[in-house]
Amino acid sequence: MAGSRLEKFGTVFTRVRDLMRSGVIKSSDKPIWYDVFSAFPPKKEPLYVKPQSRSYIKKEETVLNIYYREDEIRAKFYEVYGTGPRVFDLSKSNFFSTCERFVEKYKELKCSGKLDEAALFEETGKALLAEGIVLRRRGGPMTI
Amino acid sequence: MAARALTKGLLGIRNTRLLTVGYSRNGHMYTTAAHVKSPQNRINSNTTDKILSQPLETADFFRLSELFSLKDLFDARIHLGHKKGCRHRLMEPYLFGCRLDQDIIDLDQTMEHLQAALNFTAHVAYRGGVILLVSRRRQFSHLVESTAQDCGEYAHTRYWQGGLLTNGPIQYGPGVRLPDLIIFLSTLNNVFQQHVGIRDAAKMNIPTVGVVDSNCNPSLVTYPVPGNDDTPAAIDLYCRLFKMTINRAKDKRRQMELLHGLSAAPTPS
Repeated sequence: MAGSRLEKFGTVFTRVRDLMRSGVIKSSDKPIWYDVFSAFPPKKEPLYVKPQSRSYIKKEETVLNIYYREDEIRAKFYEVYGTGPRVFDLSKSNFFSTCERFVEKYKELKCSGKLDEAALFEETGKALLAEGIVLRRRGGPMTI
Repeated sequence: MAARALTKGLLGIRNTRLLTVGYSRNGHMYTTAAHVKSPQNRINSNTTDKILSQPLETADFFRLSELFSLKDLFDARIHLGHKKGCRHRLMEPYLFGCRLDQDIIDLDQTMEHLQAALNFTAHVAYRGGVILLVSRRRQFSHLVESTAQDCGEYAHTRYWQGGLLTNGPIQYGPGVRLPDLIIFLSTLNNVFQQHVGIRDAAKMNIPTVGVVDSNCNPSLVTYPVPGNDDTPAAIDLYCRLFKMTINRAKDKRRQMELLHGLSAAPTPS
């Protein structure tokens, strides 16, 4: 059967369409997918894109970094306390880790009280201790 | 009277063209070219055309949007891409962002692309197209092959010989029928280069559906589906979705044929 093997020019659809228009492919030999493609085309034309080597130009950041406001609290928590007493169980999709509890408590205290940063950190630690979660500082004595 | 005159005129050409003249009840004349097609065959081809064209009028004829939801995609970890250093330049439009150097794929876009890809697969399967599942990941080789077996289509998860599609008639014999759609469960081969099958399918004018991860090149894939291709949960989901679409499409075809009275010829057992 006739065909066009030029994958770098146009898309699969345009090549078959033009071959049919010029009569190289008879309409009895129309591929099965042709009507489906014309009815439901893809969002982006599957054109071949030449691999560009523009290493001399600095690439602009098109993909943004994802940061949340709670990341600051989390960073401080991990720096001071390490990973925390409880192991992360990622098999559960709604797992609430020690760090997350800390962040929740921190936000509550921040909304309610008028404490400043350092005091807020200590207060959250004490509040979690009151709930029963013991936080060990990194590099501190190991408890059995 | 006029009818009789017309018949006399037609008598002259009757011998050469073998036209049979008939009269319908309200007096209009019609001719059927008796030797070209029997009336039964013409009705069959008309109904086949109707069966083939009817699904193209609705946007979601096979109701594939009820097969998956955004939560299902999230639970199967489809949004997790590779690290920032592995990112392919052409995948940047499909990424939601980069969390601590790991690329996160935009699941809203994935939903649309997956819907388009499944819809295309369903229509091709509905029309009796040959579908080939390809994946070079040895971890999922068995899963892909069993998926293909379950939906009655074909799979190729071994080493891709150079002339598989491009040299088909010589490797497999003359008159071999090439696949009408190739589905890539992973577009990379074992050395992290683009699978040869994508370029070959584009060469042979075969449309492709492919799961493209953040380190893949989506340009030559006809219907790319941006998503994770490394996690077993993700590949499980894709295989299940493709299997359900293809089975649904084939069942629908059987149903439509029965509906329009075209019963399949009973196979002699």
